[in-house]
Amino acid sequence: MSLEIQLAGIHPRSERLIELTRSYERAKASWSQVEVQLEQETREVIKLQESLGFKHFSDGSLGWQDQLRPVTRSLKGVESGTRYSRWFDTNTFYQKPIIVGKVSAGDIDPKNFLRAELLTGKRGRKVTLPGPYTFSQLSENKHYKNHADLLIDIAIAEREIIRRLKNEGVTLFQLSEPCLVYQPYRESFRDQSEVDLALGAIRSLVKDSPGDFVVQTYFGDAAPVFPDLLDLPVFGVGIDLFETDIFSLNEQEKTSKAFVLGVVDSRESFVENPNWIADTARKFSEKVDARELVLASNSDLKFVPQGIANQKLEALSKASELFDGGQ
Amino acid sequence: MPKLFPVQEIGSLAKPKWRTKGLRQQLSTQDLSEAEEWAAKLGIQDFHNRAKSILKTGDDKERVKAILELSTLYGLRLFETTGVDNDGVGGEQQRVEMYEHVIKAVQGMNLLGHVHSFDNKYFNKGVAESKISRKHPIYVPEFLDVKKYAHRAVKVPITGPYTLVDWSFSGYYIQKQDASSPKTRKIEAKREFLLDIVEEIIRPEIRDLVDAGASWIQIDEPAVTTHPEPQEMELFVEAWNETVKGFNCKFSDHTCYPSETGYKVLAEYAPKLDKCDQLALEFANRDTSRLGLDEDSREGYSDLKHFVDAGFSGEFGLGVAHVHDFTGNVSSGAGKSVGRDLIESPELVRDRLLFATKIIGDPAKIWANPDCGLRTRTWDVAFAKLANITKGAELAREAYQ
Repeated sequence: MSLEIQLAGIHPRSERLIELTRSYERAKASWSQVEVQLEQETREVIKLQESLGFKHFSDGSLGWQDQLRPVTRSLKGVESGTRYSRWFDTNTFYQKPIIVGKVSAGDIDPKNFLRAELLTGKRGRKVTLPGPYTFSQLSENKHYKNHADLLIDIAIAEREIIRRLKNEGVTLFQLSEPCLVYQPYRESFRDQSEVDLALGAIRSLVKDSPGDFVVQTYFGDAAPVFPDLLDLPVFGVGIDLFETDIFSLNEQEKTSKAFVLGVVDSRESFVENPNWIADTARKFSEKVDARELVLASNSDLKFVPQGIANQKLEALSKASELFDGGQ
Repeated sequence: MPKLFPVQEIGSLAKPKWRTKGLRQQLSTQDLSEAEEWAAKLGIQDFHNRAKSILKTGDDKERVKAILELSTLYGLRLFETTGVDNDGVGGEQQRVEMYEHVIKAVQGMNLLGHVHSFDNKYFNKGVAESKISRKHPIYVPEFLDVKKYAHRAVKVPITGPYTLVDWSFSGYYIQKQDASSPKTRKIEAKREFLLDIVEEIIRPEIRDLVDAGASWIQIDEPAVTTHPEPQEMELFVEAWNETVKGFNCKFSDHTCYPSETGYKVLAEYAPKLDKCDQLALEFANRDTSRLGLDEDSREGYSDLKHFVDAGFSGEFGLGVAHVHDFTGNVSSGAGKSVGRDLIESPELVRDRLLFATKIIGDPAKIWANPDCGLRTRTWDVAFAKLANITKGAELAREAYQ
């Protein structure tokens, strides 16, 4: 069984870039100054991944203003107003997509998703996108009478984004689906029929799409939907191990799946001990028969300052060495 | 019979340029020209003497103290001039902002750096690196200045313990937990951190404020509605009840901008909050800008019924004015849109108050206020909004009586 480390979403900006973007807001710096710094930091994030032995490289999504924005801006039938909503139970916000017409692929600019020109020479490229269910859940629907229709149209539209990103050399797509496991914004939690619809949309998205897919869950307990996730025709499944108890997962026969273990907490500054990370990964591999394991943060590392995020990646790297040594 | 629909502020006002600059460097006469204009508007009689002493002093500490005192006086007079019935603490001029101001006074906590909130907005996040304690009084120096100048009752807003913990990393507290499950460790760490904040920071602060003469403390807890899970709500209630235990003073809660489930969960737990005399909540943000007393026009206030149904018997501080950028349409008679601001008309304020009265039943339980602190608005806009809230409350009184 192989083991690797990956980024699992948006990496934090440095204090320097933060100050520059603030100066830009106050009209005291130009956008081109921000872009120069953004490019330099993207190179640094890629370099860090190189030095830590990553096989799939992300550009860190440092320019993303929230987790949904690039997708929102690439779809027809979707507007982004000025309304900001809370990102789950964090103290961060996203611009709420408003569904005003039939959703389809619009003007897709791959540069809004990935700085491919900075990943030259990297064959394994990873991009993180909101899955269709989570995107639909976090949008305000003013058009569709039937939620299933909305879901499928988002999935089909995202397929086009994926096709375009594949042309940019992306080989691995993370579809983030926190809403499958956590819905604090709703009065009642989704039921099985809704899970089936969500999974149907994911199936529709990945069908005949190029590349490998990982469906990543976070902020909630994946155990109740774990068997469903394993049935998906995707390369891998991601689990937040700060919300999911390994021992609550059903034991499986050989799964042929890769598992992305969210084993450093992107919402705490405390840097996890590599021994604990490796032990946790071992416990998981004893419980679930995985084809491949990936160590990652449980969600975007943007919830901690950059210095802490980088230390957490280093802890993952050390843990992967310990894991290999202990096999 | 007490005055119906009294008006209150919620906390902050924007910091005038001269206040911000003056904390960093010596000011010039030119820097104080804006202050001079407002002095006339707000009736600051001794402005010139104060300005002279600020310009003359070469001592940084003395200058900063004088500027903080003067900006506090300006805030108090702005509230007073607009007809607000409660002076607050002059717009929180002596605080950086609600989170950092407290964390900087906590031994054992360190501000780690900025994290992304959205777009190009960030917040500086702190971590508990050891068991916490209070370095020095946090709000008392400000309160003593306020006491010197306030002409009416003073409400002291403080940041609540649940919000302070929720917006911080648990650090030390999570490392000392020994439960095997990471989830359990996080919850246990949060509880221990929270109760330490209550005992070591907030209660000593309230004790000092009460000893100094504070009779009404507003506890700001914007984070509470972001965690509607029962376990989190129980934690919030436990921390609140510990916070207020044994103090003889009026307490109110201010909460705003809940997640999409609205205030339903808070309403369920509100009756369990000891000594919570008032809930001051944001509503205007979610309401239409049309006149009317029908449910459609006043959709933003529908959550009030959850509090009534749950049996909360205290007062309500009703958010009747928006405090953020406004981009929607304004119907005839409901106000005017000026740049990024909506100045609600007195008639719109009146309708919001009267509609809320229909749900709550007793008008004596209703205060009128902006949704939240007005720190994001200019002083001109804050002045106009508060003045119209006051006029709207007067119209509501006339309509009711």
